[in-house]
Amino acid sequence: MNKILAVAKAEYFVAVRSKAFLVGVFMMPIFMLGGFVAQILLKDQVDKADRLCVIVDQSELMFPLIQKANQWRNENEIFETEENGERKQVRPKFIFESYQSDQDLETIHQELTERVSSKELVGYAIIDKQILDTRRTPERRAIAYHTNTPSFRSLPGWLEYVVNRETQRIRFERSGLDQSLVNELSTPVKLTSLGLVAKVDENGAAQAEENDELRTFAVPIASMFLIFMMIMMTAPALLNQVLEEKTQKISEILIASISPFQLLMGKLLATVGVSVSLSTLYLGAIYGATVYFGFSDLIDPTVYPWFFLFLIISQFMYGSIFSAIGAACNEIKDAQSLMTPAMLIVMIPFFCFSIILQSPNSAFSTGISLFPPATPIIMFLRILLDPGPPLWQLLLGIALTAGFTVFCIAAAGKVFRIGILSQGQTPSIWQLMKWIVSK
Amino acid sequence: MPVTQVCYLTPIENPSSLPPMPANAIQLRDVTKSYGAHKAVDTLSLTVPSGAIYGFIGPNGSGKTSTIRMILNILEPDSGSIEVLGQTKARTANDRIGYLPEERGLYKKMKVASLLEYYATIKGMPAREARLEGKRWLEKFDLAAWADKRIEALSKGMAQKVQFIATVQTRPELIILDEPFSGLDPVNLEAVRDAILELRAQGATIVFSTHDMAMAEQMCDSILMIYKGQKVLDGSLKSIKDKYGQDTIRLRTDRGADALIDLPEIEYKRDFGNYQEIRVSGDSNDLLAKLLQRARIEQFEITRPSLHDIFVRIAKPQNEDHSHE
Repeated sequence: MNKILAVAKAEYFVAVRSKAFLVGVFMMPIFMLGGFVAQILLKDQVDKADRLCVIVDQSELMFPLIQKANQWRNENEIFETEENGERKQVRPKFIFESYQSDQDLETIHQELTERVSSKELVGYAIIDKQILDTRRTPERRAIAYHTNTPSFRSLPGWLEYVVNRETQRIRFERSGLDQSLVNELSTPVKLTSLGLVAKVDENGAAQAEENDELRTFAVPIASMFLIFMMIMMTAPALLNQVLEEKTQKISEILIASISPFQLLMGKLLATVGVSVSLSTLYLGAIYGATVYFGFSDLIDPTVYPWFFLFLIISQFMYGSIFSAIGAACNEIKDAQSLMTPAMLIVMIPFFCFSIILQSPNSAFSTGISLFPPATPIIMFLRILLDPGPPLWQLLLGIALTAGFTVFCIAAAGKVFRIGILSQGQTPSIWQLMKWIVSK
Repeated sequence: MPVTQVCYLTPIENPSSLPPMPANAIQLRDVTKSYGAHKAVDTLSLTVPSGAIYGFIGPNGSGKTSTIRMILNILEPDSGSIEVLGQTKARTANDRIGYLPEERGLYKKMKVASLLEYYATIKGMPAREARLEGKRWLEKFDLAAWADKRIEALSKGMAQKVQFIATVQTRPELIILDEPFSGLDPVNLEAVRDAILELRAQGATIVFSTHDMAMAEQMCDSILMIYKGQKVLDGSLKSIKDKYGQDTIRLRTDRGADALIDLPEIEYKRDFGNYQEIRVSGDSNDLLAKLLQRARIEQFEITRPSLHDIFVRIAKPQNEDHSHE
């Protein structure tokens, strides 16, 4: 045991004192949060250049209405008032031009396509002659919008909204219905998502907390990413380290002093230590931030022990798999090819987490959370999603994963023992299996 | 220059806590190891007496490293038994063995002192003691100023000495050195050689594998030569040389190697430039008589073969056939 601890201590301090670790501590959250921060900071940095669009109004009804709506938009909706009262343009101005010509449709398309290609226009729209017709076949398009920049959605989106609004209004008018009455009767109703009722007060009102989207979705997804991030920061690094020891012949010296299993266990303990240290650092910072900004109830403190339990299990499991790959290979190139299936296993939670978010206690969610390679992340995700998994599933998941982890460590120990000194060709998956079942 | 100064080994603090040194430090009986169809070590038996310097020689691929790895229990033999420092159970004696592999293995990014401490603690030495012992050895090899430097900053010779310190700092009873002198300049070589001799004087058993026959001849009490996995020589240097007898003639003439052309009684010849070494099948006096007619003889010395010659004779028997001309 002392030798395992000696390896763990040395490897832990080498890891946490390395520049890579320090860079990782600061850079990883920056990369992870950078996207959100950048989006907030850059939200006003949109291209505010005017957008010109030609309308071929075959209905001879819509263009003046579009122009009127656009005038309102350009005068009001593209500006935001800042704290000092100044109006600042935050969206591009739309300019609509009516196409007046007796040309045939083919010539119109040709001419307008050229103007779009030369970037004079962002696009052009052809409004159907029978725009008010409610019995429309799919072949007869109400509004055909042609563009070579389909990703720019705000203009066609706005145009569709305005044409729909005006079309409905005209239809109601022609049917003799009072528009204001229609608007009143069309008032939407809102659904409020609440938790279960804790009690009913003396006035008969139910006392239940409103469900918070941040707590319901953002916290579970962020926590899942944190475990995943820890695996990605440590397991491939462990592979590289084992491979480096092997190629630089350090392994032989180590194996002459301690057994391969002791060496593997020491490395895994160091990996667990590094990931627990990093997570404590991150969680501490997150907790401090939530307290500072008044969201301290955002994260239920009872989830922290589960987080660390599943983190430790995942580190042992994936650490043993990746270090076995490192021990089996002789070159980083070979290791990368063997790492692909291991990475696919690590990625399982990401292939199915959206389904689990929708129905955390479905048969699929239960099944995948009891599949050991996915359990640490998926079961933890289910814990964070109300109502949480039943206790028996939680215990079964832990037991299955612990058993699988012991198997991984034992198998990795065998691959480690044989592979760490082997030279020459990297073994195939079949040979690795033979190593695992060998005595 | 402190590299050649006397090395003072720290006495073992509590010798009574250690098991008594057995008569033989290593005993292998009929040990065999195969890799697939290739038999790397074939029914090898050997005995290394405690306190001896035991040379382990053989050409590349002869099975030396496999044998050493089996002694250290890095590899398990397919058959046969191995007893190391009186222990037959796997790895029981490993903490009492220092091992310097042929291909050096040091963490390039680690600092010298930290690395020595790490290698000592995984041998079971307490960290505090390891730090003191490492420091003492670094001073001894004039490397104290490099203690806080990373390994990658050291020269090849310095790294070699650090590796040697890592091997011996835990005061092992058995020290196995695979090519300990490769890459060392003459000054450092002398320092390492002195340290080895002093470790032996302190009671350690030294097994070293080498291709440097002159060094083996200078230092070893006993020699084992392994060839194609099998033992071909084993015993004291004297007994080995006695076995090969005084069959070598060292010769210097004014015509050099040309004086030896067309002499069918010469079984083997080796031209060193200034002199030649030959072995003859008949009477050496008859050869001397023939040579006197061909050239002026400056030296004609009947001597024992060097270890190098014996090595080459065994490892490259086909060369002898070619010299029958």
